[in-house]
Amino acid sequence: MGGPDMALHTLQPSSRPGEAGALLDPNARSSKYAARLLEERRAAIAFVAPAVLTLAALTAGPALWVFWLSLRQRVPVFGIDRFAGFAHYAFLATDARFWSAFRVTAIFTVTSVALELLLGLGVALALRGQRAGRRSALGLLLLAWALPGVVTARLFEWLYHPAAGLVNVALGVRFNWLGDPALALLALILADVWRTMPFVALFCYARLLTIPHVVYEAAAVDGATRLATFRFVTLPLLVPVLLVTLLFRTLDALRAFDLMFVLTGGGPAGMTETLTVYAYRSLFQTLRLGFGSAIGVIVFALVMLVAAAYLTVLRRQESRA
Amino acid sequence: MRRRPLIADVAVLALLVLYVVPFFWQLLTSFKPEAELLRVPPLFPSRLTLEHYGVVFAQSAMPRALLNSLGVGALATLAACALGVPAAYAMATLRVPAAGALMLGIVASTAFPQIATVSPLYLVMRGLGLRDTWAALVLADASFALPFVIWLMTRFMREVPRELAEAAALDGAGRWRTLVTIYVPLTAPGLASVALLTFLSAWNEFLFAFTFTATEASRTVPVALALFPGVFEVPWGDIAAASILASVPPVLIVVLLQRWLVRGLLAGALTE
Amino acid sequence: MINLEGSLGRGRGPGFDVMMLDVIWVPEFARAGWLLDLTPSLAPGELDAHFPAAAAAARWDGRVWALPWNFNVGLLYYRADLLARHGLTPPRTDTELARSVHVIQAAERDPKLDGYVWQGKQYEGLTCNALEALWASGTTLLGPAGEVLPDGARAEDALARLRGWIDRGISPPWVSAADEELTRRAFGDGRAIFLRNWFYAMDLFQEAGSPVRGKVGIAPLPQHVTGVPAPGSTGGSLLGVSRASRHPEAAVALARFLAGEIAQRVLAGGSVLPTRTALYSDPALVAKRPHMPAFHDLALAARPRPVTPAYLMLSTSLQPEVSAAVVGVKSPARAVADARRHLEYALSGIR
Repeated sequence: MGGPDMALHTLQPSSRPGEAGALLDPNARSSKYAARLLEERRAAIAFVAPAVLTLAALTAGPALWVFWLSLRQRVPVFGIDRFAGFAHYAFLATDARFWSAFRVTAIFTVTSVALELLLGLGVALALRGQRAGRRSALGLLLLAWALPGVVTARLFEWLYHPAAGLVNVALGVRFNWLGDPALALLALILADVWRTMPFVALFCYARLLTIPHVVYEAAAVDGATRLATFRFVTLPLLVPVLLVTLLFRTLDALRAFDLMFVLTGGGPAGMTETLTVYAYRSLFQTLRLGFGSAIGVIVFALVMLVAAAYLTVLRRQESRA
Repeated sequence: MRRRPLIADVAVLALLVLYVVPFFWQLLTSFKPEAELLRVPPLFPSRLTLEHYGVVFAQSAMPRALLNSLGVGALATLAACALGVPAAYAMATLRVPAAGALMLGIVASTAFPQIATVSPLYLVMRGLGLRDTWAALVLADASFALPFVIWLMTRFMREVPRELAEAAALDGAGRWRTLVTIYVPLTAPGLASVALLTFLSAWNEFLFAFTFTATEASRTVPVALALFPGVFEVPWGDIAAASILASVPPVLIVVLLQRWLVRGLLAGALTE
Repeated sequence: MINLEGSLGRGRGPGFDVMMLDVIWVPEFARAGWLLDLTPSLAPGELDAHFPAAAAAARWDGRVWALPWNFNVGLLYYRADLLARHGLTPPRTDTELARSVHVIQAAERDPKLDGYVWQGKQYEGLTCNALEALWASGTTLLGPAGEVLPDGARAEDALARLRGWIDRGISPPWVSAADEELTRRAFGDGRAIFLRNWFYAMDLFQEAGSPVRGKVGIAPLPQHVTGVPAPGSTGGSLLGVSRASRHPEAAVALARFLAGEIAQRVLAGGSVLPTRTALYSDPALVAKRPHMPAFHDLALAARPRPVTPAYLMLSTSLQPEVSAAVVGVKSPARAVADARRHLEYALSGIR
C-alpha cells in the first residue's frame, strides 16, 4: 500500500505571507493575533507530537540505525560489537550469492509487475462491460488480495504438489514446480501475480467507471474501431492510474518477503532467494546483525532509488498534462 | 450499443475459474479424509470429515494464535487511530510548523522496507524486554500503519467545511472538543475504512511477527501457519483447515465491509 | 536461535535449569555463556564411559559443558533380501554400491524401485551428508588451524561425488529435496535399495507391519577412496545446565543421573539410543535390538560434526552452496570457492 507519490497531492504550506513579520514586530496592533498564532502553533505541535515521536522512534530512527549497524560486526550471541567500516559492502560487491539474489529480485519484480498490470487492466476492461455480478467478481478478487501472504503461500504449495496438486492434475503433467530450479521462480511469480493483480484491477476499474459514456458514444459516432477507442480514448485516461499503481506495485515487489519465504524458503538452491530472503537469513539464522543490515540497507537504497525515479517521471507526466 | 466482445466474456469466465477454484480446493482439502489427500484423482472425497479441524483446535497453536492476532490487531488499530487522528486534525486545520516537510517525511516512510528496519527494531524490542509479547507487535504494526492513517485522515478532514469548525469555536469549543464532536463524526466513514485497512494489515503482517515472537504466547496467525508442524509428512489437510481459519477475518471484511475497504484503498491513489 | 538468545541472553531467570541440547549447540551455548561449566562437578574420566565421538561434542575449550545423553550415527541401510537374491554382498565402496544398484534394478525391472537415497535438501541434514562426503574424500570442513575447506581439490571431489549419484542415475533426482523422513519412508515402504540415515530408523523398519521388517541390513557408509575411512557423522543430544539456574547443584545432579547408566538403560528400552558404550553389549538390550553390537562398532568409528561455536553459522552458510552443487546449478569447483569465501567471512566476523 501507499508510496511517496501521495506527497504530490497533499503538500500545502502552512504559513501565510506576512505572518513572520507580524510575529516579530512587538509594537504591532496584531499582538493579539501573534499570541493566537503562537497558541495555534503550540496546539498543532501538541496534536502532532505523539504521532511524530512514535514514527521517529519506530520508523525514522531504525532507518538511520540500520545504516549504522551495517558498518559494524554485531553478533549478539557472542557479545561481538565492533566497528567494521564498509567491510560488509566490500564483501557483498563480489558475493555470488548477493548478485544471484539481486538478479532474482529484479526478475521477480519486473515480471510480476508487468503481468499484474497487463492482467489487471484486462480484467478491469472485461468487468466494465459486465452487466451482472460485478460486485461479486470484484469481491472475489479482493479476497485474494486481502488474504495473508502465508495463507496464499500454503495454498499454492498445495496446488503445486507434484503428485496431488491441482495444477499438475488439471494439466495432466508431473512437474516439480517448487523443486525444479528451472520452474520455481516462475511458480513463485504466478502465485504473486494471483494475489496482487486484483489491486491493479480495482484501481483501473474504479477509474474506468469515472469515464462518462458520452465519450465512448462520441467515439462510436466518429466511426472509431474498438481498438482505436481503447488506444486514443481509454488508455490516455488510464495512464495516471497505471503509473501510480506501477509505483505502488514495484515498491511492494521489491520488498516482498512472506510469499517466497514460506512458499520456497529461497530454494531450490537459491533460485527463488530474493534480497529480502538473503537478508533475513543472514540476520536471524545466524544473528549476524551487521552483515544482514548491510543487505537490508541495499534493499532500502534500491527502493528509494526506484521511488525517486518514478516520482521524476510522474512529475514530468503531470507537468505535461 | 456495440455488442460486447467475446473475449471479455471469456476473460471473466477465466477469472472466475482462476479465483474460485483455489479457494474451493483448499476448502475441500480441509474436509477431505487424510488417506484420500494424496490419492488424486478422484478430486472429490468419498466423505467429508472434521478431523483436520479437530487437530487444529485441539493440538495446534492456532487457537491461541487466533486470539493473539485479534488482540494485536485491535490494539494496533486503536493505537494507530489514537495517534493518527489528532495528528491529521492538526495537519488539516492548524498551521503545523514545517508541515510540508513533515508530510513528505511521513509519506516517504511508507516506502521504507521492513527488512531494513527489522534489525534495529529487534534490538529495541530485545532491549525493552518486549520479545514474545503483544506489545512488541502492537508497536510495530501501529507504527507501520500510522503514516497511512495520518495521510488519509488528513485528506478526509480537509473536506470538512470550515464553517462548522468556526461555528463550534464561536460556541466556545476548544480544539479537542471540535475534533471529537465535529471532525470525527463527519469523517467517520473514512475513519472506518482506515481502521479496517489497519486491522487487515496487522492481521496479515508476517515479517515483524515472525521475528519478535518466540512462543505460542504471542505468535500471530501467519506465524503459526508458517510454522505448522509436520512431524513426518506435511499435514496438508490440517494446514488447509488452519488456512481457512486464518482467512476468516479477511473474508468477513471483504464480504461485509467491501464498500468501506474499497473506499479506503481508492482514497489513496485517485484524486477526485 | 533467536528465540533462545532472547530467553537466555537477557539475564532474566530462564525458567529452566536443565536443557536438552542438540549435539551442534553445545560449543555455541558455552561461548555465549549460557551453560554452567560442569568440569569441577564431574569425576575424572566420567565421560570415558561414553563413545569418544559423543564425548567430543560435550567438550569445548578444554572444559566440559554438557553430558552426552542419546546418540545417532550416520550409516548405510540396505535391503538384505534384494542383495541376497542377486548374489551380492553388502557394498564397501562406491563402485560396489553402484554396481549393486545397476544389477538389482536391471533384474527387478521395477520402475518404482530407487537405488540409493540420502538427504539432499537444503537443511542441516545436508551438512551431515556433505561432511561425510568430505571425510570420505580425505578432507575436512575446518583445518587444524581453523581454515575453511583446506583442501579445495578434495572438497570438489566430495561435492562431485554427491552430484554424481544423481547424474549416474544411482540416486533419484528427488533426493535433492529430501530429508530424513522422506527417505526413511521411501526405504521403509520398500521403494529403495540403499538408504543413508541414522540409528533411529532401524527401530521403525523392524516395527510390526513394516514392509521391510526382517529385510534390512546395516553397514558402514561406502568408501570413496581406497584406504580412506568413511565414518558416519554423529547426531543426538546432550544435557546441559543453565548458568542462570537458581538450583545449580540439584540441576547438575539431575543431569548426571539422567546421563548415568541406570537412566540411559531405561531410556534405551524405549526408542532412543544411549551414548554409553557398555550398554551396547548389554544382554537385555541386545535381545531387544540384535543389531546393537553392529551399531557399537559404527559408533566407535563415528566422527562428530565440527565442534565449534561457529558451527551453526558455518552450516547455514554451507548449505546453499552444497545444495546448488547437488541440484546441479553450480559446478563443484564454484560451490567450493563460494563456500570458502562465505565461511571465511563469517568466521572473520566472530574472531
